Amino acid sequence: MRKALDTVYGAALAGACLAMVTIAGLVLIQVLGRVVDEVLKDLGMARLGISVPSLAEFGGFLFVAAAVLALPATLRAAGHVRVTLILRGVGPLGNRVLAAVVLVVAIGIAGFMAWHVILDVLDAYRSGSVSYGRIVVPIWIPKAVMAVGLVVFTVALVDELVTALRGHDPAFRAAERARDVQAGPR
Amino acid sequence: MDITTLSIILLAVLFGLLLLGLWVGFALLAVGLVAMELATTAPTGTILATRLWGSLNVWDLTALPMFIWMGEILFRSRLSSDLFTGLSPFTRRLPGGLLHVNILGCALFAAVSGSSAATTATVGRMSLPELKSRGYDMRMAIGTLAGSGTFGFLIPPSIILIVYGAATEQSIARLFLAGLLPGLMLAAMFAGYVMLWSLLHRDRVPAPEPRPTLRQRVRALGFLLPTVLLIVAVIGSIYGGLASPTEAAVVGVAGALAISGLTGGLDRDSLIEALRGAAMTTCMIAFILAGASFLTVAMGFTGIPRTLAAWIGEQGYSQFALLSALLVFFIVLGFFLDGISIVVLTTSVILPMVTTAGIDPIWFGIFLVLVVEMSQITPPVGFNLFVLQSITGRGIFEIAAMALPFFLILVLATAVLSIFPEIALWLPGTMMSR
Repeated sequence: MRKALDTVYGAALAGACLAMVTIAGLVLIQVLGRVVDEVLKDLGMARLGISVPSLAEFGGFLFVAAAVLALPATLRAAGHVRVTLILRGVGPLGNRVLAAVVLVVAIGIAGFMAWHVILDVLDAYRSGSVSYGRIVVPIWIPKAVMAVGLVVFTVALVDELVTALRGHDPAFRAAERARDVQAGPR
Repeated sequence: MDITTLSIILLAVLFGLLLLGLWVGFALLAVGLVAMELATTAPTGTILATRLWGSLNVWDLTALPMFIWMGEILFRSRLSSDLFTGLSPFTRRLPGGLLHVNILGCALFAAVSGSSAATTATVGRMSLPELKSRGYDMRMAIGTLAGSGTFGFLIPPSIILIVYGAATEQSIARLFLAGLLPGLMLAAMFAGYVMLWSLLHRDRVPAPEPRPTLRQRVRALGFLLPTVLLIVAVIGSIYGGLASPTEAAVVGVAGALAISGLTGGLDRDSLIEALRGAAMTTCMIAFILAGASFLTVAMGFTGIPRTLAAWIGEQGYSQFALLSALLVFFIVLGFFLDGISIVVLTTSVILPMVTTAGIDPIWFGIFLVLVVEMSQITPPVGFNLFVLQSITGRGIFEIAAMALPFFLILVLATAVLSIFPEIALWLPGTMMSR
């Protein structure tokens, strides 16, 4: 189970990285295409007119993918910002209780988000909405990527809560502690 | 429910959840959900789903992961030591000597990186051990670094300005250019303070090293050249209207890869680490941004920002009085919150009030960045302090005390910027439009 979940989180992060690399690749083609055209124009030759169609739109979709798919991995690596001020003063038991409390609140919100985004995807699928650019994409596809990211994020939060309830440090808390130790005595 | 009660409930929910240790993105969403449930009968879930998609499906935001990625690559390259080797011959003879390497190094790195923490870490990793071994006063060495590290947010590219631009629908290119001169002004103010300090404390400054020969200077310039070229390519192409911020950032990523490939110091593993690190930082910011976007909509339903703006309008406060009050408020927030959270809370609630008072939103963005920079070096929560803590092993409050003079210079800089708004607004005004 542990291994399967970690594979899912890792795959989601890999998807986020892939989305970033794709943004860079597409934009680079666009920029190089423009540079080549400028050079050709100066030489008095015809433009090649290389450009990436609907780049602005696909860029937006890819940004959503990059941002949402990295949610679980960022959670476990303690990448999400939070105020840990009072955790230093409440002792080990207080730490565990607070970790469970914030996880329960987070699961409620993340689950609510995931559920309504799924409804939104179904809605877009039924109504057959498409993107407005030159390349027509059914809008439910990029929205579904967001739904997948939020579902995996909710799973990751539940995973952390189970760990906390079993009396262990959740991954994000362990990562925070490791960072604190590395930072030396306060 | 009357609006005062509602405001008090929402503030209590926000700070209660933040103090419990709930992640900032979730806390913003939670306040938005409570506000919607209490103030409206609108379908909360549907609006939430629409806002999440709408806040992230934005072309301009693609500049964010690209600039972060560029910084992550350069952070792992040899740039840190090259900056020190390249800058030290030129600052040796100045009063304060190599302390200026901190300031200049941060200003240069800030021009290729959008993050204050990355700037502090990259420059500090190399300069602090060197300054220590040469007998410099460590209080000043750490203080200058803590202060100068904050250039990361002001000198373009800037992650904070991308977030502000996306949240307020202002041109990111104009915001970038508006940050450039205030950033240089701040660097000059820091350098001036270091010179003054060293002239007053001659006993605490090591004896100046010999004047560098011409040969040494040329050699040093060679170390700085790649960085300078990268800066010119990135900022120059935005200023010249040749590239959008995203395009400039991708050129920057390509340039950063080329530089680290040529100068060495970047293997396969660190390349992958850079990419993963960039993805996670992007995700962290995007999550806060999405939460803030929903909160903005929810606040719109409650009418609190409108009421606040109207109230400020009726009071007839001068812009200075309003800005001074905001400055104090932000500094207090900055003790507990990180910069990005302060920016998104501001754009959700305070911005209508600011525009009602007739303050230019581009100028206010720069003002906000200066304030956010202060929050980076105020304890107990300040990201530059955390970075310096991990480099030096000293306590948060000790480092904050060393950074105090630079905090005060930042306050002074906001005053100068308020008296002469042209410092921020002149350069974007001259920008070639596309």
